[in-house]
Amino acid sequence: MVKEYSHPEVLVSTSWVDEHKHDANVRVVESDEDVLLYQQGHVPGAVKIDWHTDLQDQTVRDYIDKDRFAELCSSKGIANDTTVVFYGDKNNWWGCYAFWVFKLYGHADCRVMNGGRKRWELDNRPWSREPEPRYPRTNYVAQEPDHSIRAFRDEVLKHQRQGKPLVDVRSPGEFTGELLHMADYPQEGALRGGHIPGACNVPWSRAANDDGTFKSAKELEKIYAGEAGLKRRTPVIAYCRIGERSSHTWFVLQYLLGYPKVRNYDGSWTEWGNTVGVPIERGAGKPAEKEAVRSGT
Amino acid sequence: MSATVAERIDQVAAEFAELEPRERLELLLEFSEKLPELPERLQAERDAGIGRVHECQTPVFLWVETPQGRVQIYADVAPEAPTVKGFVSVLDEVFSGATPQDALSAEANLVHRFGLAEALGMTRMRGLQAIAHAIRRKIAASAA
Repeated sequence: MVKEYSHPEVLVSTSWVDEHKHDANVRVVESDEDVLLYQQGHVPGAVKIDWHTDLQDQTVRDYIDKDRFAELCSSKGIANDTTVVFYGDKNNWWGCYAFWVFKLYGHADCRVMNGGRKRWELDNRPWSREPEPRYPRTNYVAQEPDHSIRAFRDEVLKHQRQGKPLVDVRSPGEFTGELLHMADYPQEGALRGGHIPGACNVPWSRAANDDGTFKSAKELEKIYAGEAGLKRRTPVIAYCRIGERSSHTWFVLQYLLGYPKVRNYDGSWTEWGNTVGVPIERGAGKPAEKEAVRSGT
Repeated sequence: MSATVAERIDQVAAEFAELEPRERLELLLEFSEKLPELPERLQAERDAGIGRVHECQTPVFLWVETPQGRVQIYADVAPEAPTVKGFVSVLDEVFSGATPQDALSAEANLVHRFGLAEALGMTRMRGLQAIAHAIRRKIAASAA
């Protein structure tokens, strides 16, 4: 049973950020679901990177390419050796998504501010309404995308056929097929409801405490190894609806619990549930996993 | 005679059009800050979960009333969802005080009129469109 996070250095506290937010080698990055939150108030000195308009290609369903990623970093004053600290709304859901994209292009030093906006607010730390600060431009060099953390549809199909573990981090209603989209998000629906056959259901938010911080290593181990039955050494793929909630779970498995082979399937249910001919399972899943579904949120 | 809903949409659209795409977010934030507080009589309904719009991002509560045949919108949107709040405030500006017939005859896809697609992205635009449709349905129901 693990007692500590496997990579505790990737999590920083709000007080650490408050102290180091203006350090020359630190860049604080806010990434939110709501695009106006940054304008409403942000950590002083933080830059904004929007998951949708900055990190995704607006024509092809994909992330920005390596060159555009390098340009984005250069324009935000992020150098290859900068410590980048991500935070945002909704338990750092989008903060983890941005973290994942930065890892995709090989950024070395990425951290997450534990608790995100919520914890910063609860700690009564200052919000800035200043326009986004401009930092000296860098000449960022991005690496080729690291596909060891990203799964594509055909790879997922192969993984599924081999009976390897998949974690579906959506709500129980989406998992069973009762809902075609996440409650309140009808715009990201699919033509079929259900889950990838064999997947277990661990809603992503179970990894977070009420104040937005991550649960302890012991609690996380109990959920993912205990209830979901994941094995540390077995390759695992996490997915959700568009790959954002599952990047949160990816972060938990890879960095907090130290699982070495975790991939995020960003095509997720909006690809799988709309794809002709792929297998789908409905209902609550295998008996061993029903407990996880029942106790999910 | 006050402006028609179509004219008001044009006016707000012109305000947004004067700005660069990124500056439009500032204007939307200003709109979010001027959405009136929910009247006390409706707060209890909200707390009981009444008025919740199930199509859009959580948590949004909307009521439409038509006293003297004029649309009156009441809304409550969480402060952590300022984009939605700003858009609801835009809808309040263009619909409130109009007759239901005038409101319903204005274009349904008005979300595309404010030049926000570039700054928000399509996913968020669809979410806002769902709110506009919810308000139209409530206007129609209130006037029926």
